[in-house]
Amino acid sequence: MATVKGALARALLRLFAVQGSYNYERMLGVGVGVAEEPLLRDLGDGKYRPAVARGARFFNAHPYLIGLAVGAAARAEHDGAPPDQIERLREALCGPLGSLGDRLVWAGWLPFLSGLTMAAIALSAGWIAVGVFLIVYNIGHVALRWWALKAGWTHGTRVSVALHHPVLQKAGALLGPAMAFAVGAALPLTAAYLSAPFDSWARLALAIVAALSFLAFRLRGDRINGLRLSLALAAVALVVGLIWQ
Amino acid sequence: MILPIELLIALLVWGTLVGVDLVSLPQMMIARPLVAGTVAGAILGDIPTGLKLGVVFELLQYDILPVGAVRYPEYGPATVAAVATAHASAGVLGLGLGALVGLVTGLFGGVTINVLRRVNSRIVHAAAAQLESGDPSALVRLHVGGLLRDALRAAVVTVFGLVLAWLARPLLGGVLSVRGAVLLAVAIVATALAAGAAGTLRLVGRGPNLAWFAAGLAGGIAATIWLR
Repeated sequence: MATVKGALARALLRLFAVQGSYNYERMLGVGVGVAEEPLLRDLGDGKYRPAVARGARFFNAHPYLIGLAVGAAARAEHDGAPPDQIERLREALCGPLGSLGDRLVWAGWLPFLSGLTMAAIALSAGWIAVGVFLIVYNIGHVALRWWALKAGWTHGTRVSVALHHPVLQKAGALLGPAMAFAVGAALPLTAAYLSAPFDSWARLALAIVAALSFLAFRLRGDRINGLRLSLALAAVALVVGLIWQ
Repeated sequence: MILPIELLIALLVWGTLVGVDLVSLPQMMIARPLVAGTVAGAILGDIPTGLKLGVVFELLQYDILPVGAVRYPEYGPATVAAVATAHASAGVLGLGLGALVGLVTGLFGGVTINVLRRVNSRIVHAAAAQLESGDPSALVRLHVGGLLRDALRAAVVTVFGLVLAWLARPLLGGVLSVRGAVLLAVAIVATALAAGAAGTLRLVGRGPNLAWFAAGLAGGIAATIWLR
């Protein structure tokens, strides 16, 4: 039991670096193989190397939930599942783990806390808001990584059971509205905070440029992104600023 | 911008850590502009500037949803460079120049991420036979190599940003009028706010969450008016 716990702890630590060798050929496969390797060490000689090789093949999913695939594949190797079944399991997990993680974290937990933090900064909370953001975010982050690895190891090839865990379903249902509300509230507060040093004419210009930029993003979002438009408008502002002394 | 060498080293170390955190290790969100900017501000003894530029780039970050192999700018080291620039120039001039330096650094950072992934792909492709043999030491070596290359990449991006920060003040600060500086700041802040709103609406979609977004927006507007 202590050996399994130690192997799980080592796998968890390695999961924090799962994207370290991100590439377009195997995507996160190499990192997944590295994370899975400690869980495979007690397989027999004939089984260890083929299992490590399988673990390092193509894989892509949300990094925080990859532990589910790592734990499930390692457990399946221990349970003696046929290699093609393990390959199919890995393939089948890519899509669901990606979409669930994106919805829960990138489109939920992260923008929700980021919105709250921006609002708090606008309300003069200062660096403390940023510190709280970092702590609270990472409580959720580490808990999700640990749960995913443990659930994968517990369920093995039946890991899809874990994806229907009621807490995940509830979190998904709550985080969407919470994120929408938090960022919605943060936007006007942030606008007031950022425009505080401007004169009234500059605030008017800010409102007009923001409205036009927003329309551009909504109408031509496929071609325009924040960086391109910011750089283009900054270039125009620089030229005008140099002429209009 | 002339900063003491110890501050430059601290900014370089911080920018590198921030750059590595974005994708490779440990994704604890110090790469988020809010965090990157605040700590850069603390290093320079100017937390308010760090917070302000952190918020600007955080809004721009909403434009990005890092799913699949999507390409995106890198705003972490960019925010560090932006804060270093703004710290050297007072008020609105600092905000505009800092944001401009940050945008160019973010663009460069995004390009380096793509280059690194291509380099990693070639190395992984070349090591396919070793990987298929299940050699664990080859696997770990490949992975650690990727991590080290990302650290080097993040350091290069931070140095690039700090050099831009060093050049921005003498090149633009002297020739830009107060009105010009305000225009520059207005252009970037306005786009950031628009990118934040548009990016959020993309996440929210047209379903029931749109009502929650509208409720939040109304609450935020009410709070803003009340606080005035």
